[in-house]
Amino acid sequence: MFLAQLKNELWKLFGKKRTYIGFGAFLLAQTLMLLAFKYTRWQKDFERLLSGNGYLATEFISVLTVSLVMLIPQIMLLMPLYVALVGGDLVAKEAEDGTLRMILSRPISRLRLLFVKWVAGIIFAVVLVLMLGLTAMGFASLLFPWKGMFVFSPGLAFSVLPAHEGLVRFAFSHLFLAVNASVMVSVAFMFSCFNMKPSAATILALSFLFVSMVMENIPFFDRYENWFITHHFKCWLLIFRDPAPWSQICQSEIILFAVSATAFVVGAMAFQVRDIKS
Amino acid sequence: MIELRNVIKKFAGRLAVDDLSFTVPRGEIFGLLGHNGAGKSTAIGMMLGQVWPTSGEVKVCGHDVQSNRRAALMQVGAIFETPVFYDYLSGWRNLEILSTYTAPTTKARIREVIEWVGLTGREQSKVRTYSHGMRSRLALAQALLPKPELLILDEPSDGLDPEGIHEMRQTILRLQRELGLTILLSSHLLNEVEQLCTRIAVLQQGKKVFEGNVADVKATLGKVALKTSDFVSATKLLRGSGLIIATEQEKFITLAEGRSTAEITQALVSAGIAVDGIWQHEQTVEDFYLNLVKPPPTPQKN
Repeated sequence: MFLAQLKNELWKLFGKKRTYIGFGAFLLAQTLMLLAFKYTRWQKDFERLLSGNGYLATEFISVLTVSLVMLIPQIMLLMPLYVALVGGDLVAKEAEDGTLRMILSRPISRLRLLFVKWVAGIIFAVVLVLMLGLTAMGFASLLFPWKGMFVFSPGLAFSVLPAHEGLVRFAFSHLFLAVNASVMVSVAFMFSCFNMKPSAATILALSFLFVSMVMENIPFFDRYENWFITHHFKCWLLIFRDPAPWSQICQSEIILFAVSATAFVVGAMAFQVRDIKS
Repeated sequence: MIELRNVIKKFAGRLAVDDLSFTVPRGEIFGLLGHNGAGKSTAIGMMLGQVWPTSGEVKVCGHDVQSNRRAALMQVGAIFETPVFYDYLSGWRNLEILSTYTAPTTKARIREVIEWVGLTGREQSKVRTYSHGMRSRLALAQALLPKPELLILDEPSDGLDPEGIHEMRQTILRLQRELGLTILLSSHLLNEVEQLCTRIAVLQQGKKVFEGNVADVKATLGKVALKTSDFVSATKLLRGSGLIIATEQEKFITLAEGRSTAEITQALVSAGIAVDGIWQHEQTVEDFYLNLVKPPPTPQKN
């Protein structure tokens, strides 16, 4: 029965046009970034950075390098926005439309209903991240060759990897990106369980993210960086370090899982005591 | 099938339902009447486990809704005032989705209810293309899917045109006749309640101010309509003979205790006053309801 409920929840989610806003925005952003990388000084600056460190630029301006270059700003800016949009809709939109009242006239428990919705939200987040990685590689392969991978993210990673190892790490990084997206879905979902409009739930989730980001960047809070989710969100880039700092990555992933679970529990508690009225 | 005992519901300190108790036995069509904000929807919400009572006990199908919601709602169907669905999906897909929240439902069962409500041929169309009447039928279909024993209808005729209201009324009667359902109907349409319900409860500001049979409401003891060529002379004669105790609007007379319409007719004909018509007056549920909820007269200042 759980699988049937989940299947139907996914029908509801993927049947809506607004679910695809994120996919559309990513495709557009990727196209624009790819063209900008190819036809502006961006590529030249990158080549200069590589040659300045003693590498042959032509060997590393590749599908994987460009895919990652396109991915970093999208993951930081667009991904939280679109997953929060869907997460904020999960419960609040149904309450606003009145369909929630119809569902809750049936014998399904509130906890079960929320769990199904939460899992559907996480599936959406995973699909969005996978699509983001695949389309980034697909677009990049149209204009760039398949060669080694160069990773540069100030303060986090500076690596040069052979193509095969680069691909493995690129695929692995998406696992961590999916966790990041799931956390954002869970936070938006939590707000969505309270008595508020879907847009308010989305805005609150994004505010939570931005507050974390701003505070993390204030020097005074350096010693508290482990308390900010945005600090842990960056762990997906650590996978490109050589060697990868696994203990740090695992610590961040555990914290992100805990944040996600806590958001679900808080949301479920709020929803459990709520009166659902027309 | 439904039992509310001393139920109280407060929203942020405001009393929405005040010490409400009533029972709806199996097979009955029970009407819940009241103005907007009287507490009808809150009471229905508590029966469906959507609104938690502040105190009191709500039982549906013999199970406590708070502690055993699943068992209580297993064979309950509900329809709300404005039928809302996932407009971007087909009627069939909507029914499939909603059925999974109760129990596994076969395609044959979905087809059966679609046929029962008369939506065959349109089930694969997106709900956004449905008229209001078709949405109401789909709402009925989703309520019938779990083979309910109890149907809770919250303003089911809201927004329907006169034809739609008539159709809904016929459907409700058909549901009780053919499927033997117990029905709780909350409605503003007093005429509808009068035609459908066997018993009613009236809520005013969250409090039950009446509960009883519709037949009792309609029968007004001793009130008789009299149609005669000279109403004034006739009533003067009847009063003098002690046959009546009051008159109203030059149309109605109230019989003295133990007197019958036959005696009235005999007295008038004997006195040479022609009687064009005489019949027991039945007040409508509307008259009764309006009298019941009429605000008390404000005391006059000296």
